[in-house]
Amino acid sequence: MSMDTTVEQVEGAVPITILALEGELDASNFQDLIDTVKRLYDEGTRKLIIDLANLRFMASSGLVALHSIVQIMHGQPPLDPEGGWQALHSLGGDAQTEVRLAGPQASVERVLQRTGLDRMFVVHADRYTAIDAASAAA
Amino acid sequence: MRVAVGSAADLDLDAVVAPFRAVDHELCLRIEDADGYPIASTSLDPPALDAVTRAIPGGALAGGRIRVWGSAAGGGLGTAVAESLAAALAAAPITDLAIAAQHAANARRIEEELANGRRLQRAFVALKPPDVPGYDIASHYEAAREVGGDFFDLFRQRHRGHPLSVVIADVTGKGIAAALLMAFVRPLLRAAIEHTTGPAAALERTNKILVEERRSFLFITALAGRLDVRTGHLCFANAGHELPLIVRADGSPPTWLEGAGPLVGAFPRLDVPEISADLAPGDLALFYTDGVTDARSPSGERFDEWRLLETLEDTRGGTAHEVVSALADKVCAFQEPAPPADDITIVAIRRLPAA
Repeated sequence: MSMDTTVEQVEGAVPITILALEGELDASNFQDLIDTVKRLYDEGTRKLIIDLANLRFMASSGLVALHSIVQIMHGQPPLDPEGGWQALHSLGGDAQTEVRLAGPQASVERVLQRTGLDRMFVVHADRYTAIDAASAAA
Repeated sequence: MRVAVGSAADLDLDAVVAPFRAVDHELCLRIEDADGYPIASTSLDPPALDAVTRAIPGGALAGGRIRVWGSAAGGGLGTAVAESLAAALAAAPITDLAIAAQHAANARRIEEELANGRRLQRAFVALKPPDVPGYDIASHYEAAREVGGDFFDLFRQRHRGHPLSVVIADVTGKGIAAALLMAFVRPLLRAAIEHTTGPAAALERTNKILVEERRSFLFITALAGRLDVRTGHLCFANAGHELPLIVRADGSPPTWLEGAGPLVGAFPRLDVPEISADLAPGDLALFYTDGVTDARSPSGERFDEWRLLETLEDTRGGTAHEVVSALADKVCAFQEPAPPADDITIVAIRRLPAA
């Protein structure tokens, strides 16, 4: 119903953007999240960590947002969610590293696991391990 | 009240309504074409008035009508405003008539096509469950929009013993794109069930077709199950779908049947596990889509799993129909007065208690 997003920048060899989500991600706000990431990408973000520690719930539209976010961070325009979008296999089998997930609560982690979306992302215990991993990968 | 008008252009609705704005009133206005089809409607506050004047290209309206409803302190204001509007419209010259008429005609055509789509889609979905001796089966299907992306299927397989096949799926997304994919996937899945050794293989084959032929532009959560109606043995595979539930006749709490793999159409392979459960006499298996648990109340609360479990407890011992309709009613009442935001599908299979 409502979700707050907070954006922070971590300076380093490759700057990392942390997008923290708080509340519930569902059909009412997933498009806002996609738009936020589109803006971040346009502003130069190339490494993104999505901090899920304070996200209490994620509906299936959240999966659509996550998939669109990966596309955006690959430099592809996300397709219109009403009109359809490319299947994940178009992105290749391996988890990409432009977008990392950090600290999902058990309920959100269950949705990621049940739907197999956890295969798409490297999921870290918290934002700090995600930052370390993203910095090392850079 | 309804006032017929001859024409309209460069209409200053704001000026027309201004004299009445000081008085406490609630009014709503709707502008219709000559056939009574709405071109625009709004409440009479300044931003909405602005939207109305923009919604009528060139301010044109010929042979059309303005309808005004509402209540007003002291009464009679609705009529007064309507008459003022009518007078202003009648005095205005006609411009761009064709555009306004075209817009209305297009909107009406799309609406008619969607209504046809909805009828066709409802015919796709098995509304009347198959008759299976020893079992009691019920379902509920309601698309949130004219057409939806949920579907389910219940049919007796050709294999030995004619097991009952149950399929429930949700194309992630709504509207026409989801409905088209649903129409494409449903027979694909049914054929795969008839021509493979079990539910996991059927989902794997469907996934392979979607992925290799790149037909899939949306995600699909799907659960396929096979019930041996002689023994009550249920075997199913779950590709990213909501976990099914079993309500035992022995009075134990309803349990989720765990075990799932990724969404259909998303990855080259599913590798989804096959899960088994046995339905004893009196046990009920429930399958549903996320339109149930993700339904929102006007205050933003989610229906959530616990209300689902509570409903199952409340209807324990009831027929499949009683369980399904109680749950559907509760989800609907929970969202009121808003219409359902997502498609809702519920299927219950109950093994009849021993006579």
